[in-house]
Amino acid sequence: MSSNTMIEAKNISKHFERKIALSSLSFSIKQGELVALIGPSGAGKTTLLNSIAGLVPLQSGVLLIDNVPLAEYKRGKRFAKKIGVIRQQFDLIGPLAVIHNVLAGKLSEWGLIKSLFSLLVPQEKEVALIALERVGLADKPYEITATLSGGEQQRVAMARLMVQNPAIILADEPVASLDPARADDVLEMLTKIVSEENQTLIASLHSVEYARKYFKRIISLKNGEIFFDLPTEQVSDELLKELYQLKDQD
Amino acid sequence: MMKLIPSIQLHKRFILTLLLLAVFVWSLTSIQWNSELFHAGGIPTMLQIFEGLIQPNLEPSILLIGLESAWITLAYAVAGMSLAIIYAFIVGVLASGTLTSSKFSRIISKVFFRGILGFTRSIHELIWAWLFVAAVGLSPYAAILALAIPYGGILGRIFADMLNDVPVQPILALKAVGSSRLQTLLYGYLPLVWADFISYTMYRFECAIRSSAIMSFVGLGGLGFQIQLALADLKYESVWTFVFFLIALVIFVDVWSNFVRKGLTDHKRNKGIRSGWLSVLFALLLIAGSWLYITIGENARMYELLSEKNLQYAKKFFGGLLGIDQENPAFLNGESWAIALKLTIETLEMSIMAIGFSTIVAIITVIPAARNIANGSLTLKRKWYNWILYGFIRLLYIFSRSVPELVWAMMIIFIFKPGILPGAIALALHNFGILGKLWAEVVEDMDPRPIRNLATAGASKIEILFYGILPIVLPRFLTYILYRWEVIMRTTIVVGFVGAGGLGMDFKLAMSYFNYTQITLLLLCYMILVVIADFASESTRKAVK
Repeated sequence: MSSNTMIEAKNISKHFERKIALSSLSFSIKQGELVALIGPSGAGKTTLLNSIAGLVPLQSGVLLIDNVPLAEYKRGKRFAKKIGVIRQQFDLIGPLAVIHNVLAGKLSEWGLIKSLFSLLVPQEKEVALIALERVGLADKPYEITATLSGGEQQRVAMARLMVQNPAIILADEPVASLDPARADDVLEMLTKIVSEENQTLIASLHSVEYARKYFKRIISLKNGEIFFDLPTEQVSDELLKELYQLKDQD
Repeated sequence: MMKLIPSIQLHKRFILTLLLLAVFVWSLTSIQWNSELFHAGGIPTMLQIFEGLIQPNLEPSILLIGLESAWITLAYAVAGMSLAIIYAFIVGVLASGTLTSSKFSRIISKVFFRGILGFTRSIHELIWAWLFVAAVGLSPYAAILALAIPYGGILGRIFADMLNDVPVQPILALKAVGSSRLQTLLYGYLPLVWADFISYTMYRFECAIRSSAIMSFVGLGGLGFQIQLALADLKYESVWTFVFFLIALVIFVDVWSNFVRKGLTDHKRNKGIRSGWLSVLFALLLIAGSWLYITIGENARMYELLSEKNLQYAKKFFGGLLGIDQENPAFLNGESWAIALKLTIETLEMSIMAIGFSTIVAIITVIPAARNIANGSLTLKRKWYNWILYGFIRLLYIFSRSVPELVWAMMIIFIFKPGILPGAIALALHNFGILGKLWAEVVEDMDPRPIRNLATAGASKIEILFYGILPIVLPRFLTYILYRWEVIMRTTIVVGFVGAGGLGMDFKLAMSYFNYTQITLLLLCYMILVVIADFASESTRKAVK
């Protein structure tokens, strides 16, 4: 495993009007790391992921993606190869067939004509079929996506990510609306694929259990600050209790 | 084999799109595309009309006339709508069947009263106006009743639908505590639907303003009358002055109805019923003012409608329609039918062409016209020109929909020779703005998450359009296309009045020659068209689902 740094954050801050969302965070994540992001609601997990994805501008600090400042990337092919995002299953186009949703991962590489033609006759079908095979949906490429169950839709989203093949995957509460069995299934598949491809994964989770089970490093946020940043085996129950404790003095 | 089925399912929409395109192309083949379509002086006239648009006549005398006719147009619309609401309320409640007890009487009342509502709304307000003027002469009541009847039909039907769609639990709970049928209506049904009903009525009020303006074309006063006079004198710069008055009136109603709708949806939060009561007060003042103006200012008396003379006229007119004492009524004559049916097909082609043109323009313009595209929140791409484009297209939409089809037709007819093409263009000019506005709202209301995800995956703007936005919004776009097509079908007859071909042109001729049985025949053909439109759009809607 190579050990070059994929994400380097130096004192990044972000506030919405007067409320502080991220206050001067610094951390660095190497290629191939699997990082879980935990913390109480409103701690800034989603804001952090959105900042890394370039969806919300930062007020101050430096964020390097693969040693290049985030601001220097333009949306488009190059950025799509660096960072991919997966959320709950609401990220798919419901009325399209599964295969088109998967092939949407190729849109950054395709020209306009090819992408339009692909809606009639799917292009680079094999790539999509292999991806669907790996997530266990080989039999459903032509189903309408909206008719699939929540767990299946999340796997379609994973197949899309495999086709897009970014260096870094940001997962924002990827299993929030799934039952425990499906959640286990999705996380296991996600972490397995990421490890095989030597990609970097940052996933925000509301469940500490999943974080411990599938991730090697846990970063916890509280009130927009890093509360702890430790290898999973060093995260103690006391620390977690303190993390989720409600403030008494307020 | 199993895999084939979903893929056929997938291509169903594609096939349907091809089919609709083919129908559109078929309608285009009915026209001989050559220079014969234009008048010799058509292009220079168009330039003159355009010149008038840039430099409208702003002389004080013209502005004063404009203000006065705008008030007449508003007053007729308000008076007509106030009657329409009463009619819609009574017949709507009866048609919903909420007051009846047994299943049998409910079905009877539903069929009967829904039939009445259906009949009154299937005939265009201008035809009602014509019938009333022919029957009772030039009285403001001809205009008011002509507005009240079809609008009451539309409102009543929607009202009945709303009453039928209320959730059952609160109603059952009321019945369980022993409330009578009337009490259930007052405490259960009405509170559940009134907010929706008011916002729909406000939306219809905007349409009533336009309808009121075109009432002038049967000789009743208002903005349309002035537009007609100015066009006849070839004073294009004054035409636009009056058109701008009409646009201002439509925008005023639009703003007011947005205000009312907003108040209805968030009045719980800011607990201010004040703005609501302000609107109620304003509405009451408008209604009182309008009726005062009509009864005192224009000295029109309701009972005059029923004078001996008018009853005589009406008897003669409706007797004529039914072919009483006629040698050879047109609606029993095979030859007349053949000609009329040919005109019916022409009218059908005109309506298809019109919706086709509107769809093309709307689909080109709709994406930049959506607020969430303009501010970049949907596609994550912000460009400085987005807002300019948004403002420009929205202005174009307002302009397009504020001017009634009939007024567009009257101008177009100066450029093109009579035929179905000018009719189709006039209808399209009015409808693309409505279609565009409705579509833009669909785009604004869609779930932004899947689209943003496509953007983060690196899709370009056009790829986002085809992979993200269109698959989600197309079914609803189609619904609106079909809905507007039904409306266009009703309106084809009206643009025909000014010489845009089809059934309407023949209708006007028959009217001028007092050929009453021919009128009956044409009305029959027209109803056939409305039935065809209902059926075609209903089955297309089902096919998409």
